[in-house]
Amino acid sequence: MSAPSVRFTDERLANGLRLIVSEDHLAPVAAVNIWYNVGSKHEVPGKTGFAHLFEHVMFQGSGHVAKAEHMALIQGAGGTMNGTTWLDRTNYFETVPSHQLELAIWLEADRMATLLDALNQENLDNQRDVVKNEKRSSYDNRPYGDWFHKLQEHLFPPEHPYHHPTIGSMDDLDAASLEDVATFFRTYYAPNNAVLSIVGDVDPAAARAWAERYFGVIPANPAIPPLGDMSLPPILGSESREVVQDRVPLVRHFFGFRAPAMGDPRLDALEVAAQILAGGKGSRLYRRLVRDEEIAQDVSFFALGLIGGASLAAGQATVRPGVDPDVVERAFEEELELLGREPVTDDELARARALIETFELEALQRVDERADRLSMYATLLDDPEMINRQLGRYLAVEAADIQAAAAELLRPDNRVVLTYVPGGEAAATTNDAETAA
Amino acid sequence: MTLEEILAVRPSPGRPRRYTFPEFDRTVLPSGMQLLTVHIPGRPLVSANLIVRRGAGDEPADLAGATILAARAMTEGTEHYPGVALTEAAERLGATLNVDASWDAVVASVEVAAPRLGAALALLGELVERPTFPEADVARLREERLNDLLQVMADSRRRVDRAFTATLYAPESPYSRPAAGDEASVPRLGVEALRGVHRTLLDPRRTAIIVGGDVTTAQVLGALGSPLAHLGSSSRATAAPTSVAADVPSAASAVDHPIVRLYHRPGSVQTELRIGHVGLARRGPDFHAVQVMAAILGGLFNSRLQMNLREEKGYTYGIGAGFDMRRGAGPFSVRTAVQTAATVPSITECLSELRRIRETKVTETELAAARDYLVGVFPLRFETPGAVVAALDGLFIHELPDDELARYRPAVEAVTIDAVQQAAQDHIHPDRLAIVAVGDADVVAAELESAGFGELEVVTDEVPVESGEGEEAAD
Repeated sequence: MSAPSVRFTDERLANGLRLIVSEDHLAPVAAVNIWYNVGSKHEVPGKTGFAHLFEHVMFQGSGHVAKAEHMALIQGAGGTMNGTTWLDRTNYFETVPSHQLELAIWLEADRMATLLDALNQENLDNQRDVVKNEKRSSYDNRPYGDWFHKLQEHLFPPEHPYHHPTIGSMDDLDAASLEDVATFFRTYYAPNNAVLSIVGDVDPAAARAWAERYFGVIPANPAIPPLGDMSLPPILGSESREVVQDRVPLVRHFFGFRAPAMGDPRLDALEVAAQILAGGKGSRLYRRLVRDEEIAQDVSFFALGLIGGASLAAGQATVRPGVDPDVVERAFEEELELLGREPVTDDELARARALIETFELEALQRVDERADRLSMYATLLDDPEMINRQLGRYLAVEAADIQAAAAELLRPDNRVVLTYVPGGEAAATTNDAETAA
Repeated sequence: MTLEEILAVRPSPGRPRRYTFPEFDRTVLPSGMQLLTVHIPGRPLVSANLIVRRGAGDEPADLAGATILAARAMTEGTEHYPGVALTEAAERLGATLNVDASWDAVVASVEVAAPRLGAALALLGELVERPTFPEADVARLREERLNDLLQVMADSRRRVDRAFTATLYAPESPYSRPAAGDEASVPRLGVEALRGVHRTLLDPRRTAIIVGGDVTTAQVLGALGSPLAHLGSSSRATAAPTSVAADVPSAASAVDHPIVRLYHRPGSVQTELRIGHVGLARRGPDFHAVQVMAAILGGLFNSRLQMNLREEKGYTYGIGAGFDMRRGAGPFSVRTAVQTAATVPSITECLSELRRIRETKVTETELAAARDYLVGVFPLRFETPGAVVAALDGLFIHELPDDELARYRPAVEAVTIDAVQQAAQDHIHPDRLAIVAVGDADVVAAELESAGFGELEVVTDEVPVESGEGEEAAD
């Protein structure tokens, strides 16, 4: 099978904007993707949820674009768009028919340059209401809804920027002012804090000229405040447990582990381990808990890469009615312990590698995914070439690497166990903790 | 030039690159089954579907859920690959075998690197032809579905979806039931019922194999091998009717005047809302006008509903409206979740928008926004072989003409303001709307009553779950 080979150029404009261009004419489609190096980890106590609220404001118009016009122009051009906010980033993206590329570049530039020209209290209040409804809809009104937020609380100490949820608190959202928006914009929404990736059916010279024309005139911010030290001890040091009463019909255990930051090969090993543990019907946890012992309704396990001192690995098992929840927890934990005690079989590893290879090739077929990964690797690892190396890193993981990573990380003194039990009155969410506009 | 001067000039589009939906070949296999192949150069993965035009919409009430349960059970092992051996064999190819059943069809699918297509298709054929439906696995999958029904009760979004269709459709319509079966039907679904479903899946006249990727028709024919090419040749089901016209499930409505049904969920911070009525089947003469109308009403990011309830009022994170078009008339629905205090004002605005799209013509700007979006985004939808193959699935399910996808863009471009209004007047019916809500009745019931949207029924006696000890989720 062919390894991915995404060819691209990588340069900086004079004002510090990092520009990545990748040409591919298979489909008449172009993707524009801009990552700002600002996420909820940049928020301070009392202002949680702000990075995400700000992302919504970015769709409320700018100097030459009216409220809601960004969407109207992109959709009218036959394109799609959105933005997302996460612990480590805020990104904005458009996918358009390739002859509309210049429009997408101009729209991103206009809001980076002139957002504050259009900012007003009415739009801020409106989007504050929208975001509060997003919080209700995605977290508060859902069964098991706050599990990821609770994992964050347990895995990262209170002073650490990953401790609080990206969606923020209702009180903090209420407190956000126009002045906060303006300050946040002036601080972080500068060309030298962004990566712009343009991928697809493009003429690289034209794409570069447009990027230079519209972004090149935007001044840099020479004084972007650095984040504090986010380093953490490699493991928690002791198990952390919480029982959560929620309005749920079935008991569900959530498991969380502190893991190495992105770029560490042990995180690659954990991702391959996740495939062997819970990737489909052939996986260990599924086979034992769901299929053979019939004690769980469903299982999952995944690693989630972060850059600020640590990542996390997490899993869940929903307990079947009539089954002792402790039995399910023990079975789940035994499988993780076994992974650290004995090497996975050659066949398990071969199957995991083959599947991961297909998943990677599948994802990289689309120009929007390629643009997002180029922006991500440039922003978080200063290494967009990782788009071509990541698959090789997964395929290089050996049984001994998985065993070592599991023994070191998937252990009781690095573990959070949240158990949701029926009986709560209040609310709760989704498996997708990311937050899209 | 200054920043201001540069940004003040909006760019104009370049010249569009020509795009047509990829051409495909149609071949009839020895069994009578159709093979559709589409060559998509440059893609490393090939997408292959075996699709049977028979779904949950074709089930009798007492076997509701049998098709979806059979689809789930098919990957539990075959004669030559018992248990997880089938899954493992596929994984060694880097492939995942999926079987999905919907109202309209059962689709067995695989996505795999082109050189391994033959091996993957052999497994797909094995899966479709020789599943064993082991008793223990079927029992487990039944239990999983019953447990899932408990979860439905706890999740407002899933609960309102279930309540909405149960409200909308008369009991004789399969669409009144959950597609995967309910508390009454699922316990009845034994191995024999699933084998019965499986037998109907081997009818070559209802079945197609659809393959897309960087492979030619000749290569696909070679990769198919004899077993798949002859799949179903000995089937006894060939006497069954095969045309879509004869296969349209009943979509009888249970609603003939506006009604409001509120399911009490104490402490809900939002009300989940579904507002609508029985809608349309896919094979309608005014499909494209309906698509444009629905986009303006509730499909675009800047749709009327979204601009009103989200961008002006801030009642919701998002709102959409549209037609779920099946072989029979699926529902038309407005879908949203609104903060509890805004429940009645939100419904008022929705009803107002439903009347407005009928009573006043859309503007030229609105028409252009929807038309240009649907036309322009069309190529973006078909970037990958999987997406192209899925579109051909739809062609086969609904027996649409071969040029249906190629003519989509000119057909949408031809839609006029008058055609949009006609579509709204023909297909949106404020006089028989069902308004179904899951929310806190203690807060909203009185206001709902006095709002006078329609006859109000408050459902408070559904017991959503305490211990999960096999309790009945009454409906």
